[in-house]
Amino acid sequence: MKPSTLIWTRRRVLRGMLAGGTVAVGLPILDCMLNDNGTALADTGAPLPTRFATWFWPLGLGEEDWRPKNAGTDYELPPQLAVLSPFKKKLNLFSGSQVFLDGQSNNTHFTGVQGFMTGTVSNSGEYFNSMNCIIGDVIGGRTRFRSLEVGCDGDSKDSWTARASGRLPAEVSPTALYTRIFGPEFVDPNSSTFVPDPQVMARRSVLSGVADERASLVKRLDAADRQRLDYYFTALRSLEQKLDIQLQKPQPLPACTKPNAPAKDDGHPVQLCSDAMARHDAFTNLLTLALACGQTRSVNLGITQGMSGLRKEGDPTNHHTYTHEEPIDPKAGYQLNCAWFQEQYMKALVDWANQLEAIKEGDRTLLDRTVLFAYTDHGAARLHSVHNYPFLTFGSGNGRLKTGLHIPKPGDAASRVTFTLMLAMGVPISAFGTGSNRVTTPISEVLA
Amino acid sequence: MKAIPIPRVRTWLARLLPLAALVPLQSAWSAPASPPPASSDASTPLALRLSPSQYRQSILDIFGPSVSITGTFEPETRVQGLLAIGARQSNVSDSGLESYDDIARGIADQVVDQKHRATYVGCTPRDPKASDDACARSFFSRVGPLLYRRPLTPDEIEARVRAAAVASGDVHDFYGGLSLSLAEMLISPQFLFRYKMYEPDPAHPGGERLDAYSKASELSFFLWNTSPDQELLNAAATGAIQTPAGLEQQVNRLISSPRVTEGVRAFFGDMLGYSDFDTVAKDPSFFPRYTLNVKDESQEQTLRTIVDHLVTRHGDYRDLFTTPHTFLTRALAVLYGVPLVDPSDNGQPQRWIPYTYAPGDPRSGILSEASFTALFSPSGRTSPTGRGKALREYILCEKVPPPPGNVSFKFVEDTTNPQFKTARARLTAHRSEPMCAGCHKLTDPIGLALENFNSAGGYRTDENGVAIDATGEMNGHQFVGSVGLGNTVHDDPATTSCVARKAFAFETGYMPPGSDPQWQQIMQKFSASHYNFVELMRQIALSDLSYEPQGPAALTASN
Amino acid sequence: MSAVKASTALALVCGAGLCLAASSQARAETRGFVISWFATATDIPDYKVDCPLGRMDGQTEMNVRQLREIGYSQEQAVKIVADAGAQLGPDYRYRIDTNAQVKGKPASVFNYPDATADPNIETVTGPYAYGFDLGGKAASKFIDPETHQKIDNQLWRSVGCTESFHEAPPGKPYPEELSWNLMIDSAPAWTLQLSGKDLSHDGPVTITIDSATQHLERDANGNVLADYTYIVEPNSRSHNVLAGEIRDGVLTIKPKDIYLEGELPFYAEIALRGAHMRFKAEPNGTLVGYWGGYLNWRRFVYMYTARPANGADSIGLYHALKRFADSDPDPKTGQNRYISGTFRMEALPAYLARLDGTVIAPPVHNPGALQRVEPPHTDVKTVTN
Repeated sequence: MKPSTLIWTRRRVLRGMLAGGTVAVGLPILDCMLNDNGTALADTGAPLPTRFATWFWPLGLGEEDWRPKNAGTDYELPPQLAVLSPFKKKLNLFSGSQVFLDGQSNNTHFTGVQGFMTGTVSNSGEYFNSMNCIIGDVIGGRTRFRSLEVGCDGDSKDSWTARASGRLPAEVSPTALYTRIFGPEFVDPNSSTFVPDPQVMARRSVLSGVADERASLVKRLDAADRQRLDYYFTALRSLEQKLDIQLQKPQPLPACTKPNAPAKDDGHPVQLCSDAMARHDAFTNLLTLALACGQTRSVNLGITQGMSGLRKEGDPTNHHTYTHEEPIDPKAGYQLNCAWFQEQYMKALVDWANQLEAIKEGDRTLLDRTVLFAYTDHGAARLHSVHNYPFLTFGSGNGRLKTGLHIPKPGDAASRVTFTLMLAMGVPISAFGTGSNRVTTPISEVLA
Repeated sequence: MKAIPIPRVRTWLARLLPLAALVPLQSAWSAPASPPPASSDASTPLALRLSPSQYRQSILDIFGPSVSITGTFEPETRVQGLLAIGARQSNVSDSGLESYDDIARGIADQVVDQKHRATYVGCTPRDPKASDDACARSFFSRVGPLLYRRPLTPDEIEARVRAAAVASGDVHDFYGGLSLSLAEMLISPQFLFRYKMYEPDPAHPGGERLDAYSKASELSFFLWNTSPDQELLNAAATGAIQTPAGLEQQVNRLISSPRVTEGVRAFFGDMLGYSDFDTVAKDPSFFPRYTLNVKDESQEQTLRTIVDHLVTRHGDYRDLFTTPHTFLTRALAVLYGVPLVDPSDNGQPQRWIPYTYAPGDPRSGILSEASFTALFSPSGRTSPTGRGKALREYILCEKVPPPPGNVSFKFVEDTTNPQFKTARARLTAHRSEPMCAGCHKLTDPIGLALENFNSAGGYRTDENGVAIDATGEMNGHQFVGSVGLGNTVHDDPATTSCVARKAFAFETGYMPPGSDPQWQQIMQKFSASHYNFVELMRQIALSDLSYEPQGPAALTASN
Repeated sequence: MSAVKASTALALVCGAGLCLAASSQARAETRGFVISWFATATDIPDYKVDCPLGRMDGQTEMNVRQLREIGYSQEQAVKIVADAGAQLGPDYRYRIDTNAQVKGKPASVFNYPDATADPNIETVTGPYAYGFDLGGKAASKFIDPETHQKIDNQLWRSVGCTESFHEAPPGKPYPEELSWNLMIDSAPAWTLQLSGKDLSHDGPVTITIDSATQHLERDANGNVLADYTYIVEPNSRSHNVLAGEIRDGVLTIKPKDIYLEGELPFYAEIALRGAHMRFKAEPNGTLVGYWGGYLNWRRFVYMYTARPANGADSIGLYHALKRFADSDPDPKTGQNRYISGTFRMEALPAYLARLDGTVIAPPVHNPGALQRVEPPHTDVKTVTN
């Protein structure tokens, strides 16, 4: 006679709902829509766009043990990355590089990312103009959203995307993200009919009234607040552009399918790794189709913040605590519990790569037209190390990057990896970063 | 104890309706302190983004509680322990503006809908399917000053009227156009940001002071957490608010109102870090008693305790850390493991019931409540370091340095290490590393005194089968458990100076210059009042220091 | 059956007494509980032994049978069901549901079950069922798998082959599970007080069962919360005072009629004539046990006829219960109006209080709660604002 203990955790419900949700399924772009080479849309001649995606996972991969011995194409993926092997030819692994502190303190779980994403290390916790934002603005074109940011554990601070105005908050709810992208304001690019919405027209005309207030306000403000006001009006222009786009007939994108709404998920905080990964999959499905449907060209996902509180079911100790408290297993040579978390994250990354790969756009897959950049907060998280960072890229970005390579750069500046990606994506700069993190030459062996 | 009576407050707008019908438009704002002239020599103005609660409370006061606000606000930034300081840096992102736009259209649609239009629009268009400038003008003349917290210029009103006309034409609906024009006011930086504008101070030639409308807003958000009401705007319009007597009259009016509890709650919600509850989750398999209701009610418990102690009883701020008096719901009582008899009828919402911790109870004071112990704990295990750090930073205004990079964790490298069963054992091992010891000794001995409270704030006597040792130490004082910790915090001079500095910053957006004689006077009066917090608010609100431009001393204090 | 064994073992470990925390002083103690689980006691060790015909495999079988009752051949019925999937179409359902004949006209089978043919559902022929010896006929006795006594439980005989009763705790028969989950968030809970000189030792005890003024509360997993405070309804119709005894860790009572006011859609009432009870305490203080006695079978089956198609053949159950009813013959017709039956229940430790704020029964020591030797504030008084 055991007492009843029906456990209905939110996690189960979430998982159950996801099971009923939809998965991104790509349709091939019909050849008649493309030019003869399958590289551009036939009706406009516009090349099929290049996309940029970032993916942040917390707490690195461990110590030196994950570094493959060989460089170039002839290398073996380490056990921590074994799940990536189906994509070995479409990915690059960068190892060995570091962030230089230049006398600034190592604000743990932050400074490293600050260093290679913004090129500048500072004590003040400033985080502006991240490389993914810069790339997004260059490749963005006229899309509804300049970029989309999501976080998987319910914390809107899971975002490493920043403009001059500061960090952009992450959307935490798949339901809200769906409504934002595919809700009533979504115009299906493949619909045969197009009627501009008078309500949107009215909104658009009224918005200019707000812009008119700028002049009277700006003269009353000092430089700092004038700049903040400019950030506001930059956001306002984005909103205007979004409405403008809704008022025009969109270019047909046969690879676009509007997904069904994901299982209802309000983005409440989660603390089990399995819950975060379930939400991750819901997000990547939406982000993938947002890319395929021309809604944006820049998407950014964070699993958690660097100091991850995610846990294994039934275990009270979280990933971050394990990085510091778990002994290195003498046989395996790494921390076993930490490796479990890493594996969950890498499986999720492969899931996303598969979603991108499943969508055919002419002669290539959506993954081929994308660069998906995966990065983390520490080299060896156990030691709060800012050395030997693991970085991954998936996809060639419309042939701009070579793939299939392991590129060891022991001791080099990690900002060179991000600088290289910026150049590959067409950002017109000749240098990136400050102090020892300043770089002027790319990693030429990956540039196509 | 008696509940604080919450009078039925008519909305600012409803109060204004009869007034607006009688008073010519111009007189509302053509007063001495009209919007400040564009002057290039004015001191650094500040733009503070409205907090979500200020936004909500303003809309509630202007349009009434039947207008619901749905949507997600852009996250706030915490600087020096306060969102109110971070508001100076908070910007509006693309997605943030999209959200504000959604929220604004939701509000505006309700204001003009069938149910509300008679009350809030206040006039009837000649043709509901077409624009009507006269009606739109009368609407924006009334609503505009409440939203922008100052009079609107005729040009500004005409811009709203024109926008309404254009939009009404697009959608062939007067109310639809009016709604869109109103929505655009709600996403204007003039509504979303509170601008602190300065003007020459006649009392101090060469000096500057906050202008009258900025001062009205500052007072109102500080004391009531909302936009200024008509009376306050009138005091700005006449310039009365710039005179000592006029200021005192307004401050006393605001403080003697029951609505001052809104200001007190907003301040302590900010100071105690409650925005972080948005990301708090506990594992239900470990903590089945930590329900979503408990999460919300734990914050309410502490805020009720604070309002009761500070506002209703005029208590000493320091006693918040030792008082056995609090309020519980049945669900919180279960978390705390005590009985609570709630005679409400079946199906009625849980009531808040005054509760006094019995002598010998492991709890007393707000640090022993789940609003503190659960907020600063990870979802599975406790973190004495996190709790100790939170106490130093949130309650005592001290800065705990971040952990070092490239640290050696020798004790975990030893694969033969014993299983550390308690947090004390783990942290003791951790502190054996000299690189870590310096900071951990600031935080851990505080947090270890709270180890009888698990990650969800429930009581426990052991961890992994080992009895918990709740001895603690802070600044050389040894004690046991949360009761001992509460007594030590009670007696620490940093406790009172911290709350005062943060209260000042909650009003102004920056920490006060500690060496300024005016600040020292405020602190003396706070001390003389036996640390009566409402008295502190009054002194801050009355002091010229609060309305001077942020001087170099204050700038230093902020950095 | 493993659950039963585990519990027996616990009783041995605890030895005499109810396995509840010892009171520190030798004075009378009263402990509070709230009934947190309640349903028909099921026993399904081997379905093939219990129901060898295997005719009650569920919805599909029931649909075929009901189609045959309205005139289809076996072959036709099987095809219709196969085509329809889980749910028969509304036309078929309507004809089945109005297959009663009243004055020559079709009528609702649920309103006129006696005017509907007995579908003759399969009933239990196996040897085991939970219960008590109520003095029934030797020929219809079951064996209780826990006590190995011969017992009366014709309710189980009637319902035990129906698919929705193939549930073991923590599951409940489906209609009861559904109803219970709807009910407990709104209907007043049932409280249970246990009084005795020392509940950790054998000896006489008093059990008092009442209604609470408020409903059960759930924890973050959706289970019932332990250690919640409930007020005992002062003038409840559900007031039952029972004389009992703890012997070898098992609590039993002197048989007595009991009545608990229920709330639809769950049982409208729990009324047992000559009720027996048998409980044990789990190490965490939860009481787990059985109540048996005679109950009005028409009221029992109302739960099924009022909510048809919940995984049970309502009319089949009606006729089976009617057939196996074994007590209280109607003087006119001779039809028995009561049937022997057994319920299983669990009760979690709780604070019980009076309306005036006095705590009258604290919970037993519970590892999930505040760990103190003695519960605090047993005489705490609170005043509402």
